[in-house]
Amino acid sequence: MISTDPFCFQQWATFGRAWYLLDAKMQPPGKIAAATVIRLEGRHKPIYHALNDCGDHVVIINTRHIAFSGNKWEQKVYSSHTGYPGGFKQVTATQLHLKDPTAIVKLAVYRMLPKNLQRRTLMQRLHLFPEDVIPEDIEKNLLQEIPQPREVPKRLDEYTPEEIAAFPKVWTP
Amino acid sequence: MTGRGSPSRFLTAVLHNGVGRYVRQLQRLQLLFSPTAADARGARQFVEEAAQDFARQHPDVVLYVSPHSGPGPAPVLRAEYLNGTVREELIASKTSEEIVQLATKMANQSGLDIIRIRKPFHTDNPSIQGQWHPLTNKPSILTVQGPRLQPQ
Repeated sequence: MISTDPFCFQQWATFGRAWYLLDAKMQPPGKIAAATVIRLEGRHKPIYHALNDCGDHVVIINTRHIAFSGNKWEQKVYSSHTGYPGGFKQVTATQLHLKDPTAIVKLAVYRMLPKNLQRRTLMQRLHLFPEDVIPEDIEKNLLQEIPQPREVPKRLDEYTPEEIAAFPKVWTP
Repeated sequence: MTGRGSPSRFLTAVLHNGVGRYVRQLQRLQLLFSPTAADARGARQFVEEAAQDFARQHPDVVLYVSPHSGPGPAPVLRAEYLNGTVREELIASKTSEEIVQLATKMANQSGLDIIRIRKPFHTDNPSIQGQWHPLTNKPSILTVQGPRLQPQ
């Protein structure tokens, strides 16, 4: 039966899910996760309420090219336990990243989400891709790109010789 | 505790709170009492002393004075409102002054149910600018061009 409420159909647009794109190239995983969790939970919406399911989808590309600061690649340790005796596993960030280039971002987001029954559901709306190749059916959903938390640094070999020559020098070697 | 079991309604105002022209919501007030019972003494006193004054002060309310034959049931004030509400108030063992006070209160009421009000605010125009949706306050180019990856 069709409702007689004149505002009934307006809610279809209000509660529609948007798809956001986030480029993780040279970004710290924690900052990526912080920007993602807000969208997954729907906290960026004025209609946000903890009991309504208003989270959006987030597509993160280039997770292989994230950037840790300091010596986290060697020092940061990801621990897990298989449940069996002697099943305590510890891998460094480098080892985990070589095994699965999306795992570090996935874990950062998963651990930043609220620890409740919604966590697995919200994780299903997170789509991670190691490179910048996105399947067609996901790409056509994308609505907007989330600004990157950090400015992507430019390598020296990405500058033209003219730009390097024009760079002001304090002293001549 | 949660109030889910108790009856509730939303906040309403009768005839825009009487702005412009006040319309009394009480239509009829019926005084049902026994001419002999002891607990209807105050009701009989009200008929003798105050009923005429009350009717004069409230020309838009019809006041019926209807005595039972014999002892009958307990005396009540039965109020009928414009929205169809019928409310009975027991006036057994009440003095004349108390009945005047009660009748005045009933004449000033709106006839809406006196139950828990779910929210202390209400509007007839939920939104003038339209309800929020994911494209509100977004650049309109999104709606025209659809998804577009920004080439670096």
